[in-house]
Order: sequence, then structure tokens, then C-alpha cells
Amino acid sequence: MRAKPVLKFLDNIESYLCQILLVFFVCLLFLQILLRLVFGAMHTLSQHIAFFEHYPLPASIPWGEELSRMAFVWFVFLGATYAARLAAHNRVTFQFKIFPKIVGDVSTVFSDIVWIAFNCTMIYFSINVIKEGFEYPEYSPTLDWIMAYVFMIFPIAFSLMTIRIIQVNIMKHVFKIEIADVDKIDTGDEDDEIPESGVTS
Amino acid sequence: MSVTAVIFLTFIGLLFIGAPITLSLGAAAMGGMIFSGKPLEGLVEIAYTSVNSFPIMALPAFILSGALMESAGISRRLVAVAEAMAGPFTGGMAASTILSCLFFGAISGSGPATTAAVGMLMIPAMTRHGYDRGYAGAVTSSSGGLGVVIPPSIPMVIYGVTASQSIADLFIAGFIPGIMLAVALMTMNYFRSKKKKYKGDGKTLSAKKVLVTMREGFWSLLAPVIILGGIYTGFFTPTEAAIVSIFYTLFVGIFIYREIELKGVMKALESTTWITGRVLIIMFAALAFGQLLTINKIPDLIAQGLLDLTGNLYLIWVLIIIFLLFMGMFMETLATIMLVTPVLLPVMLSLGVDPIHFGVVLVCCCEIGFATPPLGENMFIASGVARTTLEDISMNALPFVFVSVLVVFLIAYFPVLTLWLPDFLGTLFQ
Repeated sequence: MRAKPVLKFLDNIESYLCQILLVFFVCLLFLQILLRLVFGAMHTLSQHIAFFEHYPLPASIPWGEELSRMAFVWFVFLGATYAARLAAHNRVTFQFKIFPKIVGDVSTVFSDIVWIAFNCTMIYFSINVIKEGFEYPEYSPTLDWIMAYVFMIFPIAFSLMTIRIIQVNIMKHVFKIEIADVDKIDTGDEDDEIPESGVTS
Repeated sequence: MSVTAVIFLTFIGLLFIGAPITLSLGAAAMGGMIFSGKPLEGLVEIAYTSVNSFPIMALPAFILSGALMESAGISRRLVAVAEAMAGPFTGGMAASTILSCLFFGAISGSGPATTAAVGMLMIPAMTRHGYDRGYAGAVTSSSGGLGVVIPPSIPMVIYGVTASQSIADLFIAGFIPGIMLAVALMTMNYFRSKKKKYKGDGKTLSAKKVLVTMREGFWSLLAPVIILGGIYTGFFTPTEAAIVSIFYTLFVGIFIYREIELKGVMKALESTTWITGRVLIIMFAALAFGQLLTINKIPDLIAQGLLDLTGNLYLIWVLIIIFLLFMGMFMETLATIMLVTPVLLPVMLSLGVDPIHFGVVLVCCCEIGFATPPLGENMFIASGVARTTLEDISMNALPFVFVSVLVVFLIAYFPVLTLWLPDFLGTLFQ
């Protein structure tokens, strides 16, 4: 039974990474705002009080905004991967209502195959871009990082997404596990009559 | 076969077989690029530039702060204020719902989130007071959209980024239209409640009671003041205001109301990750799609087609609004904005329409789209909470949709309604 917590961790790994990135860039931006307010106030004071004039102060962390934006890009694409695991990506499905259920199922599986093909193409070309990025390095303006490292998120995210799409389809069609609709909100009490929405949003 | 045909056929074909919207847009753009012989490395560059932007970081920040406000007890107190103010009138519980959505709209930037937060509290309260479940759901889903018209607003962030317009100006411009929509909904509610014999909540309107709830909800009412005041005075950018509101909510939740739990915070973080991920990956696909359309001069073609049809701006607005409402019925809101903006904005600009004005009309149309079937995010939530069918809610929502559409036409025909406030504040703070 030791494998269970490990599996659960792996199942949610994008979510954990994403939450760490989210907390990181939110705190970083807040720190920037605080610094701006504090030093702004001190700057105003320095015009009146001679003491502050002798200490030139940094207005903010210069690389703060850039780093938070990079964290944000990683956050978005990992978040999209997690959304794929939750089967949360918006699809238009009301047209399937007039057909038997099997039509919708087959059609959705087919669309997922197209999705995987799309992801593979993206993986291939993002690796190309990264290779080129190491050959002719481009540096980020303030942190001076090689941009190719930042672009690593694309092959990572699109590969993980492909794995998640396959995982969801296996869960749904092989193990017959009902994937909960994440857009349905929990009303707190269990009820007998749950209205049929027919559309996954 | 032209590139345009390849793009549109792939897009519509994939949507029809039930592919995610992101994939439909992305694969259509990829198909178009392959067809016209462009290197696909460009797509990777777009994936990076589409989200590598400071203004768009307001989106996860507003989603997170909205989710936190729920567990910090801020939403509940805002609803209490609204109830004390509007409860005693005819159809009072429904009017309180609309007013709550108005208040909540000033701290939340999302329609479905507003519907969920207000609906969880007000729909059960309405049914207890003898309201029809369908009517209760319809009121909530129709007024939940106020969340995106009253600033802050996530669709406005998306429009501002896609159209490179000032998000702060858009936020200010949405204020008067939002109030107008709320007044229209309340008027319609008054007449319908009178007919359905929905009385007030039995309490009398007293200034004292309103003041008591306002004092209890003081820290909640301060939230919109900080967010909007900070943006309007130019003290914060919208992204910074969203970040500040996260920490403000945490502060109030931990030290003042002492209601927030670690579990609630973790849940808010978790839902923010996947909601942002699925929305912003559409951004990448929509940007690639939009660029291809622009290269192939589709906006010019549409503009020419429109102008050949009529030169009358009023008639063009009619066509555009009908088109947007139609899109709103079938498409996800933010995807609609990302898709429509690069195509329609140049058209409207060439006709002399202000981009801020167009943005507000676009967002108002999306507001209505939240409450129109078959894809109306607010209706799904309302039907879940009210435990009634979508059909029941949509039938009851029709009159509300009707008055909202009237207001949208007013807003479109009188640009001064949107543009006056930004101008006024602009001169005030300069």
C-alpha cells in the first residue's frame, strides 16, 4: 500500500507545482508594491528631512517583474495541464444531445487524438526553438537568463498534457470512472434530483 | 481552397466533434500556417508572448481574491447589507439578489463566481420566501453577469490586453453601464414580482438596520473602495490592485473576521490554477488564430461587407450586437472576446467608434451570454443551486435578458454613457 500516496502525489503534481508558482509570484508582486510604497514615502520624506538624503534607496527589486512574469508563464501552461487532468477544458457538447451517447463518446475520443497530434507537433517545434535558443542565445533583459531555459516549459507542458489526455480517456473508457464535472458547484447537501445540464462548460 | 477556408473549416469542424475550444482554435491556426507555408516555430513564440504580459496577471489575481473573499466571510456580509436595503420592497428578496450582485461585482471580476457566491446565499433564501425555483435561479443568473460589467472585470482585462487598451479606463467606463443594467433588472423584477405577488421580506426598511449591517460589513465594503479607488486614482495598476486585494482579504479573514481556514485557502489556490490554465491557454490559440485572420485581411473583408450593406452606424451596431449575442449563446465568454476583438475592433475603429466604448458594449453582450442557453455559465450554476432544470431557468430569464438587451442598445447608441466617467476622472486626477 506504500505506492498509494506516491501515486496520488504524481496525479496532482502539476497542481502542486502550479500552486507554488502562484504563491511565489503573488508574494513577489506584493513585495514590489510594498517596497514602492515604503520607498515612495521615504522619498517624499527625504525632500523635507535632511537625514534621508544621505541614503540613496533602491525603488524596487529590478528583476522582480521579469521573474514574476516567467513564473506566470510556467504557471499558466502547467495549469492548463492540470485542467486537462480534470477534463476541465471547455468543449461544445450540446449537439451530441440528439444522438445516442456512443456518438458523442467516439467523437470526443477522436477529437482527443487530434489534440494529441497537435501537442506532439508543438513539442517537436518547441524543441527546435530551444535548440536554436542554445545555439544563438538570447538573454532576458534584467535577469540575464538564457531564454531557452524559460521555453523549456513548452515541451514539458505539452508532453504532460498528452499523458493526462491519455490518462483521462483510459479512466473514462477502460475503467469506467466517472470524471466529476469541475464546473458543477457543490451545494453542500446531497439531493435526489440533480438537473441535467447536457453541456459541459 | 484558400487559407481562410482551411482555418474556418478546421475550427468549426473540430468544435462540432466536441474538441476543446483551445484545440479548435490552435489546430485551425496550425492548419492555416502549414497551408500558407509559414514556419511553425512562430506558434511557439506566440505561446510565450501571449501570456508573457504584466496586465494579464490581473486575471489569476482577481480569481484568487474572489475565491478567498468567499471563505473570508466578505461576500456574506455584503449580501447582508444588500438584504437590509432592498428586502422590504415588493419582490424584495430578488431585488436584494440583484443588489448583492452589484456589490459583489465591485470586488469580483467574474460572472460565474458572482452567481455562485450570491446564489448560494440568496437562492435558498428566496425559495424559503415562496419564490418559484425557476424565478430565483433566473434572477441570480441574469444579475450574476453584473460581476463582469461592474469593475473589476476579468473579460475587460482580456479585452484590454487583446486590444491594447487601458484596462483602468475600461474599468471606469463599465461603472455607469453596470448601474444601468442593475436598475433595469430591478425594474423588471418589480413588475414581475407584483404580478406573481412576491411580497417584501416582511421587515420594515429602517435606516438603523441598514447602518448596523453596514457597520458589521465595514471591512467588506472597504474592499471595493480599496480596489477601485486604488485603480481610479492611478495609485495601483489593475494587476497591483488585484494583488493588494488578495492580501487585504487574507488580512481581514485572519485578523478581523477570523473566519478563514487553511482548507479554504488551499481550495482557492487549487481552483485558481486550473481556471487560469484553461482560460489563458485559449489566449495563446486565439492570438495565433487572430493573427492569421488579420494577415489574410479578414477584418477588412468584414468591414467592406458591412459597409456595402449599410453605412448607417446605428444599423451596424444592431448587426454587431445581434452577432455578439448569438456568439454568447454558444461560445465561452473569454474565448468570444479573444476571437471577436481582432476581427471587429478594426472595423469599428474605421467607423469612428471609440475602442473603450466598443469594449464595454462587447463585455455587456458577454454579460447577457452568461444567462442565455445552450451555453450559459451562470445558468449552469444557478440550476445547480436552485435544483431546477435549465429550461425552467431560461424561460424565467427571458424578460431579464430582454431588458438587458435594451440597456446594451442604449449603451451602444449613447457613447457618452461609457465615455463620460473616464473623461471626467481623467481631468480630475491630472
